[in-house]
Amino acid sequence: MHSKSYRLVILSLYVAMALILSYVESFIPLPIPIPGAKLGLPNIVTLVSLITLGWPLTLLVVVARVLLTGFMFGGGFSIVYSLGGGLLSLLVMGLLLHLFKDNYSLVIISIFGAIAHNLGQLLVAGIVLQNTNLIFYYFPFLMLIAIPTGFFIGFVAKELIGLLNKTTIFNRLNS
Amino acid sequence: MKKKELMIITLLLVISLVGIALFYTVNASNQPLTVRVSRDGEVIATLPLSQDHSETFSNASGYNTLVISNGTADITEADCPGQICVDTHNISSPGETIVCLPHKLIVEIITGDK
Repeated sequence: MHSKSYRLVILSLYVAMALILSYVESFIPLPIPIPGAKLGLPNIVTLVSLITLGWPLTLLVVVARVLLTGFMFGGGFSIVYSLGGGLLSLLVMGLLLHLFKDNYSLVIISIFGAIAHNLGQLLVAGIVLQNTNLIFYYFPFLMLIAIPTGFFIGFVAKELIGLLNKTTIFNRLNS
Repeated sequence: MKKKELMIITLLLVISLVGIALFYTVNASNQPLTVRVSRDGEVIATLPLSQDHSETFSNASGYNTLVISNGTADITEADCPGQICVDTHNISSPGETIVCLPHKLIVEIITGDK
């Protein structure tokens, strides 16, 4: 298969996986007093995609996932919040990956991505509600939660990439 | 795990905890507390936190029932899809908020009478 169409197949697989993880995630409420906090399972796919496909194609994965989950399970405005979180998170993770090149730690990148995701959503909420108070109130709490969840997601992504690299899936990707 | 990773994680934990502590110390006050309800950035009600009160705010997008009792404010009922505002803890300290994103409603504790 041509490498371009091969990449397209991998890309669509990522979108499908991220979509399913978003759905599964909605059944796993975190046992913490901050409502609406989530594990961030789709970020496993974002991380794997960032490493294997680079940020321009990962941008497509994130936008496609946000739009599809928004239309399928979310209510109207939820897309805007998810997009704010998803894009800021991708920007931060992409920059960190670029900055540290081959010396990166996926766990740390994942934690920063989780923090950025929360911040992105909060900023959108602050703009929509025209209120800055809620950003200062929720951000430290959300940041505290983002550390363990981001750690978990980063760890899973690291292990997953280790396993996938043993297969031949990615061999033809960049040929 | 590498030492550097552990250091960064510890640092982030400290920053978030300091942020939480800072939020409560900066906002701490002896003044009377007020509950402010806004929708779409416009204040629709200000109520004293010390007075027990119950009110339902509704418009075309839906309703939220606010209950003030024993110096805490809570949204006890709403018809929004996520029910996040209902699940949010009671609030009682200045600066704390309850947000209902689908209805663009926000309940805040502020200092002062207005």
